[in-house]
Amino acid sequence: MSNEHAHAPAHDDDEHNPHLAHHFDTMGQQTASAKLGMWLFLATEILMFSGLFLAYFILRMLYPEMVLEAHEHLSKWAGGINTVVLLTSSYTMALGVRSIQLGDVKKLRLMLVLTILCGCIFMVVKYFEYSAKFEHGMLPGKFYSAHLHGYEIDGLPHIFFGVYFLMTGLHGVHVVIGLAIMLWMFVRAGRGEFGAKNYVAIENTGLYWHLVDLVWIFLFPLLYLVK
Amino acid sequence: MAKVFLNGQPVEHPHEVHEHISPMSTYNGVIGALFVLTGLTFAVSFADLGPASLTVAMVVAFIKATLVVAYFMHLKYDDKFHLFVFLGTIIFVGIFFGFTMFDMKSRDALNDEQETFVRWKEQENAGKGLVVGVDNVPERRAKVLAEIEAHGGGHGGGEHGGGHGGGEHKAEAKAEHKAAAH
Repeated sequence: MSNEHAHAPAHDDDEHNPHLAHHFDTMGQQTASAKLGMWLFLATEILMFSGLFLAYFILRMLYPEMVLEAHEHLSKWAGGINTVVLLTSSYTMALGVRSIQLGDVKKLRLMLVLTILCGCIFMVVKYFEYSAKFEHGMLPGKFYSAHLHGYEIDGLPHIFFGVYFLMTGLHGVHVVIGLAIMLWMFVRAGRGEFGAKNYVAIENTGLYWHLVDLVWIFLFPLLYLVK
Repeated sequence: MAKVFLNGQPVEHPHEVHEHISPMSTYNGVIGALFVLTGLTFAVSFADLGPASLTVAMVVAFIKATLVVAYFMHLKYDDKFHLFVFLGTIIFVGIFFGFTMFDMKSRDALNDEQETFVRWKEQENAGKGLVVGVDNVPERRAKVLAEIEAHGGGHGGGEHGGGHGGGEHKAEAKAEHKAAAH
């Protein structure tokens, strides 16, 4: 392949890029394919979460008083802190992508560490929130036992907490997966696999992480705040 | 060399990567706006806005989401096809929500009109126990109740609309309804 193109103009050196897979013609094409694939994946993610959001809206429509009463038992402050933490992590992730666009691997790794740190804080806050709910018996379906712990919530709170745990739980799983991917990217960046012309893996990690942030942007007001 | 295609279009200069690199000021501005908007929703949640609170919260959430998608996810500068994929998804979510909500809101009226089935109207009849929807149409009540009787009691409606939770919880809910009736 390299012999065939030995006389190509200088800027054609793309074809010698060790990160260019053989089934792509150029790095630009490879990058565009990877990003399109990522966006299609994010589309399926949005559709998956939309089902849970719809379940929430239906529950709210059928039992407005019950949803209001049950949501008072969620900690606004824990949710608020987690919102700030997650937004910050999205910011550091975006800066990470910017760093590698400029070819700064060192700063990229720093930003990945900061993002992972924020993700961990998010999960720790979540852990305390979930522990409190478990302790008070505010659990989904047949596990619901808050009335035995002195909490009287009218209506069907076991369904509300089912929706709460499914939505925040699925979101939490996404956070954990995101943390694992960022750790992997941190290691790969350390091996020198990324540069100003080859960073689509970082960018896709960023896109995934921003989607996790997007879901939370809607989850937080709906579950914790709205009256 | 071979012609290069991107999204079905031939590319003139395939070796040049035209990625937009946003300045730091853009990212700082966006995160600042996101924090301000978060503070706003948080503050508003303490004020009693009644039914408007959902609208306000959703409008703020949509603004925040737009900022994240446009600047952090680079959709503003990205290949327009990615924007198409994203907005296409949102349109399908809209159809999903719209049709379901339309069905939820119009089902009661349809049932009354067509006498199709009996349902549990917990909100309007709090504490009165099982009330069949046809109660809203007195002249048809006897006929529909007779039909229900013929089909073996509250089949298709009634309790099925209520708690699917633990038996213990269901029993409790029943007791509550009894207590409220006295």
